[in-house]
Amino acid sequence: MRRRTRHDEDQAEVNMTPMLDIVFILLIFFIVTATFLSEEGLDMRPPPDCGDECPPPPPDATVILVQVDEEDNVFVNQVRSDVDRVLSAVNRYRAEAPSSPVLITVSDEASHGVIVQIWDEMKANEVPVSLSRDDGNGG
Amino acid sequence: MARRGSRVSSGGEDVELDMTPMLDVVFILLIFFIVTSVFIKEPGTTIFRPDAITEEDQNPSMLIGVSAESEIWVNRRVYQMVELRGVIEQLLQENPKGKAMIQGDEDADIGVILDVQELLTEMDVDVKISTFQP
Repeated sequence: MRRRTRHDEDQAEVNMTPMLDIVFILLIFFIVTATFLSEEGLDMRPPPDCGDECPPPPPDATVILVQVDEEDNVFVNQVRSDVDRVLSAVNRYRAEAPSSPVLITVSDEASHGVIVQIWDEMKANEVPVSLSRDDGNGG
Repeated sequence: MARRGSRVSSGGEDVELDMTPMLDVVFILLIFFIVTSVFIKEPGTTIFRPDAITEEDQNPSMLIGVSAESEIWVNRRVYQMVELRGVIEQLLQENPKGKAMIQGDEDADIGVILDVQELLTEMDVDVKISTFQP
């Protein structure tokens, strides 16, 4: 009996404090480095291939072709235009056929900024838009 | 005198705080932050992204930079188009459900950006073109 009591008293208690310090430092490190990076971006991927199940295009729709060549010259339906005037040109065509979509055909050497600007203007004005690459034979 | 007496008695009663529940909570927090921490590798080059207003938010786990000279930068190194597939596969191993963001410079060739986008789409990676809110 006596022995056991003594043994109980002897029981060494583990000092948690240093471990707790380390755990806190690790915790603070991971909280600080956890940058939930949030970026803004455009989804410029082509729409999925829908095969036969594609909804038929509206009857009055004619595709408005916007071409951008390697020197960043912009043509709307073969008529020379300008980056800042594309929207007004497209709107003129859409006044006649309001549901017309826009197809941007780009040369591989056109600059990214121009394409994004045109894409963004179209999206902002709810014009259906898609992007295709010029196959290199002058389109 | 009476005061001193009471102080001594309170010192003798020395209540020890039970740290165990707090330690449990701290460990759970620690494990949460370890598991969720994704170390994003910056492209490592200066990129002037184009402005846009119709952009959407995304939390990307891989960033692919295309500089004004149309070089492809991933994790502070320049890669050729043919090497990029291996690099992306490596990044996907670290984070299989990762989303990608292409940071293209305003003056980069659209062809290179579309190549990268096609490659990522082919590999079933959700990809967006990074823009900059003015």
